[in-house]
Amino acid sequence: MVGLPFDCLANPLGAVRLTFEKAVTSGTDPATFDGRDWGAIDLFREFLFDKGGLSKVPILDHENVRWIEPNSLVRFRGMVQDMLGNEFYVGAFKDGSTWRTNKFTDVASFPMGSSSEVKVWERRLLYCIPVPAQNSWTQAIHSETVVNRYKNQTSQHGEKRHREDDAAVDHMDSTASEHEFQGSPPLSKKMCEGTLPSWTQESASNSSKLSMIPDFDQSSLPCLVKIYDLLESDLKLNDVFDFVGVFTFNPELAVHMDESDEFSNGVCEDALVHLPPSKVPRLHCFIHRKLGVHDFLHSPPITEPTPHLVRGIRESLLGHLTAILGNDGVAAHCMVLHLLSKVHARVDTVAVGKLSLNLTGFTKESASIFGNQLNLAIQNLLPFTRSIPLTVEYLNSASIAPRKDYQTDRLVTGVLQLAEGTHLTIDETQLKAGTLNSIGVENVRLLKNLMEWQKVDYDFEYYKMEMTSDVQILIFSEGKSNILPADLVLPFRPSAMSSCENKGTEVLQAWRWYLTTLRSMPHSIEPEMQKAIEDDLVAARQANRSLGSQDFSRWLAMARLMSASFGESCLSLEHWQMVKELERQRRERLG
Amino acid sequence: MASDSSPIHNGGPSSPDDSYSSPIDNTFSSPGDANSRRRRRRSSTASGYATPPPQHSRFAATDATPTPSSTQSRRGRRAARATPVATPTSTDEAPPSSEGGEGDEHDEAPPMFVWGTNISVQDVNAAILRFLRHFRDHPSQAEGKYMRAIHHILEVEGESLDVDAHDVFDYDSDLYNKMVRYPLEVLAIFDIVLMDMASRIKPLFEKHIQARIFNLKTSTSMRNLNPSDIEKMVSVKGMIIRCSSIIPEIREAIFRCLICGYYSDPIVVDRGRINEPTRCERQECLAKNSMTLVHNRCRFADKQIVRLQETPDEIPEGGTPHTVSLLMHDKLVDAGKPGDRVEATGIYRAMSVRVGPTQRTVKSLFKTYIDCLHLKKTDKSRMQAEDPMELENGSGDKDEDAPLDYQDKVEQLKELAKQPDIYERLTRSLAPNIWELDDVKKGLLCQLFGGNALKLLSGASFRGDINILLVGDPGTSKSQLLQYIHKLSPRGIYTSGRGSSAVGLTAYVTKDPETGETVLESGALVLSDRGICCIDEFDKMSDNARSMLHEVMEQQTVSIAKAGIIASLNARTSVLACANPSGSRYNPRLSVIDNIHLPPTLLSRFDLIYLILDKADEQTDRRLAKHIVALHFENPESLEQDVLDISTLTAYVSYARRHIRPELSDEAAEELTRGYVEMRRRGNFPGSSKKVITATARQIESLIRLSEALARIRFSQWVEKRDVEEAFRLLEVALQQSATDHSTGTIDMDLITTGVSASERMRRENLLLATRNIIMEKMQLGGSSTRLLELLEELKKQSSGEVHMNDLRNALATLAGEGFVVVHGDSIKRI
Repeated sequence: MVGLPFDCLANPLGAVRLTFEKAVTSGTDPATFDGRDWGAIDLFREFLFDKGGLSKVPILDHENVRWIEPNSLVRFRGMVQDMLGNEFYVGAFKDGSTWRTNKFTDVASFPMGSSSEVKVWERRLLYCIPVPAQNSWTQAIHSETVVNRYKNQTSQHGEKRHREDDAAVDHMDSTASEHEFQGSPPLSKKMCEGTLPSWTQESASNSSKLSMIPDFDQSSLPCLVKIYDLLESDLKLNDVFDFVGVFTFNPELAVHMDESDEFSNGVCEDALVHLPPSKVPRLHCFIHRKLGVHDFLHSPPITEPTPHLVRGIRESLLGHLTAILGNDGVAAHCMVLHLLSKVHARVDTVAVGKLSLNLTGFTKESASIFGNQLNLAIQNLLPFTRSIPLTVEYLNSASIAPRKDYQTDRLVTGVLQLAEGTHLTIDETQLKAGTLNSIGVENVRLLKNLMEWQKVDYDFEYYKMEMTSDVQILIFSEGKSNILPADLVLPFRPSAMSSCENKGTEVLQAWRWYLTTLRSMPHSIEPEMQKAIEDDLVAARQANRSLGSQDFSRWLAMARLMSASFGESCLSLEHWQMVKELERQRRERLG
Repeated sequence: MASDSSPIHNGGPSSPDDSYSSPIDNTFSSPGDANSRRRRRRSSTASGYATPPPQHSRFAATDATPTPSSTQSRRGRRAARATPVATPTSTDEAPPSSEGGEGDEHDEAPPMFVWGTNISVQDVNAAILRFLRHFRDHPSQAEGKYMRAIHHILEVEGESLDVDAHDVFDYDSDLYNKMVRYPLEVLAIFDIVLMDMASRIKPLFEKHIQARIFNLKTSTSMRNLNPSDIEKMVSVKGMIIRCSSIIPEIREAIFRCLICGYYSDPIVVDRGRINEPTRCERQECLAKNSMTLVHNRCRFADKQIVRLQETPDEIPEGGTPHTVSLLMHDKLVDAGKPGDRVEATGIYRAMSVRVGPTQRTVKSLFKTYIDCLHLKKTDKSRMQAEDPMELENGSGDKDEDAPLDYQDKVEQLKELAKQPDIYERLTRSLAPNIWELDDVKKGLLCQLFGGNALKLLSGASFRGDINILLVGDPGTSKSQLLQYIHKLSPRGIYTSGRGSSAVGLTAYVTKDPETGETVLESGALVLSDRGICCIDEFDKMSDNARSMLHEVMEQQTVSIAKAGIIASLNARTSVLACANPSGSRYNPRLSVIDNIHLPPTLLSRFDLIYLILDKADEQTDRRLAKHIVALHFENPESLEQDVLDISTLTAYVSYARRHIRPELSDEAAEELTRGYVEMRRRGNFPGSSKKVITATARQIESLIRLSEALARIRFSQWVEKRDVEEAFRLLEVALQQSATDHSTGTIDMDLITTGVSASERMRRENLLLATRNIIMEKMQLGGSSTRLLELLEELKKQSSGEVHMNDLRNALATLAGEGFVVVHGDSIKRI
């Protein structure tokens, strides 16, 4: 068995068990495996990254969930929407004289006699959903691979099943340990007579499974990810991850859940009851990786971003935005800076680096023309975008903050539960005079807090919990929005109505790359430059007493973004001057 | 076994005492009776094994504990059999160590050990007995603490003995460790010992007494409960979020034969199951499948499942709260309700989940819960008695920690208070990213701490709250200060004058849309009772609304007479208002009154009125510029200053408000009198053209409040002289800023009906004169300009007293107003 590694793709659990047995036979006490790996993760790491197996792993989404074999290796990209706490399970147990492991599975692979020695380990449960407000173009690539994969699978389906059969039979005598993991009909032969009748029958009825799978809403396939051996601080709510692990999906298990006895019902009355395995697939995670916005681009990153290249992209993007904004160059400049903004640090309550933009001077008509065009353009440029039409009815009815529902013990998501780097457009032109009820007032407060501090209060009924967020906010309004005070207020002055030509994907990709990559550029400022800026600020304040720390803060944020927009990590005097010029033009319009 | 004592028969929430007087009780033996009688009967026949193992009676019986059940029952049996062996008399005088009892064991039965350990049952038994008999709170007490408690329980026919785990630890740490590590076994023995003692003291006492352990040495965070804690005694803190309905759990079942009417013996639950007899036991009948459950003769116990969630302060950043289930039995049912903060002590248990009810196969999962032994409500009143709405204030929650943490915290705060520079340090910590304005911050600090409210026997009351008004140019971070105070204060309400109506601030009467009843709704001021009501844009407030404030600010009540409701509501709130000058920027040529269109009657109700003017000071601007540049381009962490974080600050303030009630020392009272008299006298300053009312009773009240607040800042029980002096200084600084007539450069008391030094005015006039003279002497008409500093030097040479830059500036401003000089930044030119 040494020479033949398991098919990591189709039978990852086999590989897990193999490494476990190896580790045990080499004399390690299974008790020491609590909270650490015995070599299985290394095996997968090697398979996925060194041998390039990652590209072969199917990505789990609403389309292919019904095609992916249970107990095979899958990949899931999602945002941690809720954390369901820890789960204790029998990590290792003694079956007769041999140690077995249950790590990475839901159901004991072997009957566990009540007298067997057991080791209880724990794992964390995360409820993950596809990143909210994700634009369709980010998924295009997945869909492609999925489709390919799916085609391969369907074409090979019969054949593959056959091979597994053979394999199982082949190994049955030599390794008593293997057959359970196939997760396909052969194992029932042996198990039926024994202790797992119903379970095996269910898995045997693989063919009938398709009809039982509930239809997943477009782009809303949730996944319950079980994470092993991980420090608490590594994962945060609203983080986006790429998980690779064993996929399990047992629609049949649900049937029994309802009938379990009263006592366990009472105690287990938690989130899991409301997330039966029949509705939500499980993923036992081997490897996870935190994703940033840039991971959602599918063009290979430009390897050597030369300043020249960056400048070129900047110019073309600026041109594009100017066209969309009806030849308003100042607005286009502000828009570029806005799209590059990101919270870099937090000092006390101040979120440094954010730059929310308020384009004023919209009327109903111009909002419908330019607003929509801009919305579309932004959707094409950024991976995660969402827009909120701000009306009194919406404010009075929407639940925009996540809320804990103690009946189901779940965090109910809200509009403002967004991944880092999401773009939010708020259209205030539709807001009419009206009365806000208590929900409306609360919602306005939430939006304002988000604007000012980049924080959202999650409602835990008995208390509020503040969660930090990093959302770029763009507001369209008629006059300066007083409900939502933006950092940068700019009266919008379109001069021409230009048709928005469709850009080629290559250009689009370059822009996307530009916006996502330059956003996280490091930044520094030379002491001389610091001095120069300080002098400028002091002079400006001496000249105009109405300038305050907020204005200065905005200038510096703009300076940073301006220099980032040229792909430079060090602020130069030239860029500082550009910011001042931009600010001057802006003030002119305001005045 | 011994612990199976629930006396509640019908599963309802009736108290045990009720059930004793109920007629049913006569018909059916009380469960505890039945159990103990049976126990005694059986132990007398030396067949202890027949008693139900303790786990199955005291703790929810499930056969799915991770430890194989066979061993458990064996354990239980051993523990049970140990009872007659370890007679208290034999070990009575043994030294207080559980190992010490070894000598006795030879005489008795062979030593028994708790399964899988080297803990001897007899030892534990003896140790518990010693503990109960001999533990004393204080050596002087004649009788042990728990002996008294047991006697008390026997008297009131109670059923549980609360045992402080700290006591156990102090008396016998070895026993404590055993108890925490093997709670199932040790508690079973504990209960047996208690039973024996009870029956010895009062032979006829037939109820069970359970030991309820609480106050463990260490409390586990819910987040850190892990598999190694299973079957251990743990203590977790949290907030109850949900209580299930009460579940009657069957403990003993009685069956009746449908054919002959024969009643079976009570059948006790065995591992969560009742074995239904398949045939009638009466020899004459023996009918098969005829037995039916007689519900109202069965014995039920109450059970409830409670979800406990982590308190917000334990949740790490970016995490969601963890929850754990608590299983409550009998008396503990309904001991807490959702929203309560509790500390639960219990045994952490795990139960495996089955794939299906009919299958023996289990999923490899465990559900965990805590078998609750004791539930203690965390006392909220300790720090937040005044601030019951502290919940919103996350930082305040830390104060509700266990006594130990709480004590630590208090010690820390006291330590902090001892620092000589605490006043300055707190000032620095208040809104650290707002520059300068130190005197304003000091005033705000006083407002946060507040003075003592006084209620005389005659019914007159004096408010302790300090009201502050900030007036100033836009962009001078007034609103930020307000926001900051709002966040800090225990019960702050933040409102904007523009949107507030009189009723919105005070209270209003509405009709309930559903019932049509009239309801009194509280406004912002009432809601911030005992807090600070922050009113932004005070000047934009309608006159009507403002006039409502008169009553609130002095009488601290809101009176309503409307729609048949006549009420007076408490509004003991400090008002922190900020206003913009009427012409967007402060016009120094106009008086304060003209600048802010507020009636003097209202103004006089503010203890401190600060003018925050935007001074064209390059130094300040540079600091601001430096700060902002650093904020954006340097590592923000390096900006940290020596300031208290907001949670410490909140804790400090709430502790002081709650616990420190400073009183005036004689010395301070004298100083107050002296200062006040002087202030009054200044109004009669000879030579002043008109007599000004300088100080009124309001001022002295303000001063007392301020000095009390200052004493509180130092956690001092006495208001000392220096507090009074600082209070005078604060008041003068505030008045100097607000009561200066900028057209003359003097303070004029008539601006605000109250006043400060006419002597100050004299001083200023003298200074003005001196300045004028110097300028006349040194400077040519239309000649070259002189620098401000030079002028100051010159002045200092001439006059005997101290001359401040500010005084000079004021004087020059007056001169400029007269058209005598022109002031350009730093340089002065005569024209």
